[in-house]
Amino acid sequence: MIDILQRWILRLAPPLVLPLGLASLAAIFFWVPTEKTLGLSQRIFYWHVPAATVCYLAFGIAGLSSIAYLRTRRADWDHAAHAAVSVGMMFATITIGTGSIWAHTAWGAWWTGDSRLTTFLILWLIFASYLLLRIFARDNEMAPRYAAVLAIVGTVNIPLVIMATRLFRTIHPQVINNPQGGIDDPRMVYALLVSFAVYLALVLWLWALKLAQLRIAGRLELLEGDRNAA
Amino acid sequence: MLALLWKDLVLEARSRETLPALFVLGVLVLVVFDFSLALRPEDAGRFAGGILWVAIVFASVLALGRTFLIERENSCIEGLLTSPLDRGSIFLAKLAVNTILLLAFEALLLPVFALLFDVSLGANLPGLIAVVVAGTIGIAATGTLFALAALGTRAREMVLPLLVLPLQIPLLIAAVQSTQMVLGGSGLATLGMRGDLLIGFDILAVTAGWMLFEFVLVD
Repeated sequence: MIDILQRWILRLAPPLVLPLGLASLAAIFFWVPTEKTLGLSQRIFYWHVPAATVCYLAFGIAGLSSIAYLRTRRADWDHAAHAAVSVGMMFATITIGTGSIWAHTAWGAWWTGDSRLTTFLILWLIFASYLLLRIFARDNEMAPRYAAVLAIVGTVNIPLVIMATRLFRTIHPQVINNPQGGIDDPRMVYALLVSFAVYLALVLWLWALKLAQLRIAGRLELLEGDRNAA
Repeated sequence: MLALLWKDLVLEARSRETLPALFVLGVLVLVVFDFSLALRPEDAGRFAGGILWVAIVFASVLALGRTFLIERENSCIEGLLTSPLDRGSIFLAKLAVNTILLLAFEALLLPVFALLFDVSLGANLPGLIAVVVAGTIGIAATGTLFALAALGTRAREMVLPLLVLPLQIPLLIAAVQSTQMVLGGSGLATLGMRGDLLIGFDILAVTAGWMLFEFVLVD
């Protein structure tokens, strides 16, 4: 199943990313109207929000693949989870980076102890520890299982992280699903949708590439093991 | 399961290794905070909760890392695995040992804490105990689940805090804020979402450990 998925993504996603990406950039810089209160800096929103969304998607995939791995013990699912965390971490970093740049112009500070910012930082730390575990336990055959348990607990933990950070005050805007959110022009909605499409195609593409690389590395290890045994 | 719990407690009681070490470490953390922040009495109330939990977290990392160390010597873990005990029960027994150990440590630490930061325990004590117990169960559950995984890595002791601290952050946020409120004289009923979070994390962490523990053991 993963085989087929990987092949289709690698066939469909790459040709989409460049044209959609250019369309999204063109829309952001030349087409959308400037938002009234925040001005130009609001335009980073069109890449900030999709990055955050696909990051949740990637960590979700990591959690589900880890459950599948513990049930089936098939290495493919382990690779799928590992690839999803790697890619998700990249997008979490992009989210924090773009958010920080935006915060600097909009709020006057690179970082505040705000609830949503803290949520993302904690998610980043949880899945950073996943990647560290993979490095430290590399030569242990139990490593995939430890990692899977960590990914499952980490994913289940996400709602609690969100709940805990609500205890802090927030100045982070709620834009989606909010009539007063500031999205008052249909062009803004289209630009956001195109950017979502770019990020979705990009995250799937990168995931499939990383997956392919991990699977080849796994096969190589098996072959070397065979040769050493012979 | 009770036998396993009893064995570990007797071992600790006979050797008297862990508890004194934890106590000294906890006091050290409190003292370092005491002089590095140079708190005036009126400020102490605002920071005391956070400082208490930093001390507890530091000590817990030391204590939890040792969970399976004694089983490793002489390959006792293999004997444990061949015993007719199901894997979930081994987790619960180890969790109970760790919780009891940490609670004993906290019972020793609290008087020192009250003394150094001029916190009057008196009437707030039952609430404080409830918060500390709830926080300790969550810390012990996550630590017990990943202690074996950390031992399986090259860097050993260094890895455990890296794995469990990020996971424990929501629990710690709730615990610190609850402690703060309880020390300020609020009742447990006023904790609201903080209390829910403490209990929710405990339930989730214990269930996750009980269900997932079999996967971190060699079969």
